[in-house]
Amino acid sequence: MSVQAAERREADARPDDKKERAEKVDFKMVTFSLAGKEYGIDIMNVKEIASAGRFTYVPNAAPFVRGVYNLRGDIISIIDLRTMFHLPAGRKDDDALESLLILRVGDHVFGVIVDNIDKVVGVSSAGIQPPHPIFGDINVKYIKGIIENLGKLYIILNVEKLFAPKSDEEPSAQAAPAAMMAAPTPAARDAFPGAAPVDTGDVNADFIRETLFAFKRFGVSAVNEGWFKARYAEWCSSRAAADVQLKEQTEADQFLEPFYSPCTGELWSEAYAEAMMAALPRINSNSINVWNPGCGKGYETYSMAVMLRRAYPEARIKIWANDSDLLAISMAPNMVFTPEDVPEMYREMMVKGRNGYTFNQPIKDSIFFEFHDVMNSNPVPPVDIVLSRDTVSFLSSADQNKLLADFSEKAKQGGAVILGSSERMPSDGWNRANVEVVSVYVKGA
Amino acid sequence: MRVEYINPFVESAFNVMKEVLLADVKRGELYLKSTSMPVMGVAAIVGLAGDVEGRVLFDMDRPTALKIASAMNGEEITTMDDLAKATITELANMITAQAVTKLHELGFRFDLTPPAIFTGDNMEVSNQDVEALIVPMETPQGKVEINVAIRERA
Repeated sequence: MSVQAAERREADARPDDKKERAEKVDFKMVTFSLAGKEYGIDIMNVKEIASAGRFTYVPNAAPFVRGVYNLRGDIISIIDLRTMFHLPAGRKDDDALESLLILRVGDHVFGVIVDNIDKVVGVSSAGIQPPHPIFGDINVKYIKGIIENLGKLYIILNVEKLFAPKSDEEPSAQAAPAAMMAAPTPAARDAFPGAAPVDTGDVNADFIRETLFAFKRFGVSAVNEGWFKARYAEWCSSRAAADVQLKEQTEADQFLEPFYSPCTGELWSEAYAEAMMAALPRINSNSINVWNPGCGKGYETYSMAVMLRRAYPEARIKIWANDSDLLAISMAPNMVFTPEDVPEMYREMMVKGRNGYTFNQPIKDSIFFEFHDVMNSNPVPPVDIVLSRDTVSFLSSADQNKLLADFSEKAKQGGAVILGSSERMPSDGWNRANVEVVSVYVKGA
Repeated sequence: MRVEYINPFVESAFNVMKEVLLADVKRGELYLKSTSMPVMGVAAIVGLAGDVEGRVLFDMDRPTALKIASAMNGEEITTMDDLAKATITELANMITAQAVTKLHELGFRFDLTPPAIFTGDNMEVSNQDVEALIVPMETPQGKVEINVAIRERA
């Protein structure tokens, strides 16, 4: 990278040589298309191209593994890149031939299925631009760079990263979002125009950060920085200067009181559910997957289930709700309500049980309540909605980055992440829905 | 791990052990773990299949295993012989089977694999991707850790 950068600088310095340099071909790639976009893979990784079909199905393999194939006596696994990146793939007949790139990565040989293989393109490696976080449909950590050739933009995939054994991949996966989250985005600051400019060197503010984490495990980070600054300014102005610090748990609770989203610890009001529905993108699939980490006692999970059921009566809804608080989550599957306390919209989906009203079987069947710590590996499939209100903030900042990286990995393209109303998504590649009471972020440019 | 699965395992572990050991058994605090973990010396494992995939591991040290085997057979057993191994395997089978029966009544369909037993020093179970629920049980014979990892079939 540094060599390339130096070369580029040099080229800029001597404009006469620039043209000659740009034409020097030292990088060849095989180009192909996936869902209408052009991609390239370093030719050194490509063993050959082929077309084949009728792959042998392997039970229990990951969904993007189409099976194995006998390539002139060698058994190779066949990976469907479109499924891997959650891109639409036209369904072909079982007998139809697929376009295959046979790749060699280290000692391994794989076949990958792509839409169409185009040609070999030679370019100058000096012209490869680093990937931009909002570029394309593919997780940025798998992209080596972008290059233009004859008016077409090619995304060069990093094959080593893509097919590296999992343990090799882990550190880079964490490093990338960490770098993106180093500073809160200007948008996050602008969202709180009332915030007085607080000097970050302020000893009291730093101390409050520490105590919040000690008492409540609330980690101030780019996710909630804007809220914290505004709240700190308000806190200082409402208290005597000597009394600013949080000395005990109750004061920490008091400090965090305005942090929580509306309708925490109760079923969502109809107005809140309506605002939420308006902010979420319309889902066109008839199967809707939701991941709800930190569901607590399950109020928001049931609210979400009912809201989606009303909006999509025909869809197959699945909600994976988990929490690491055993006591809270144990109550969730059998929660009992009194009808008077429940907003109107929920009543039609409730049935009378022995001890009171509970949600009916179809609603219960759509939810998996799990005792699970999100810091362990999260075995959820790709989801349309991640519902995580006021959960991310209650982690250390390293854990926050890991969880947010998981969110981007698990959310489908065009899927949404719902954060707490005082929380902001710090990384690029997410568009905030323009609604005040809810924090909804849609993935993709 | 689904909340509904927790209680059947905890209850049946408690009931079965109390019954076969004829002694007071205490349950420790439940927790989750996903790192690789050392095995204390004797580990019996039962696989689960059906709607889910997973396994239940019963982990104890050698003296505990021998004392439990002695108590269950009503005779003193001092070496980890076939009888001792068969006894621990049977305990694992009884607890898992009772839990699976309870789950069946709740409408979850599980199948069991025949139990297997591992003995040895310095063993470690590495299964980084799987999160396990740990149910520690305190018996007069020593500590037994029940390690349940179940996930829904995708």
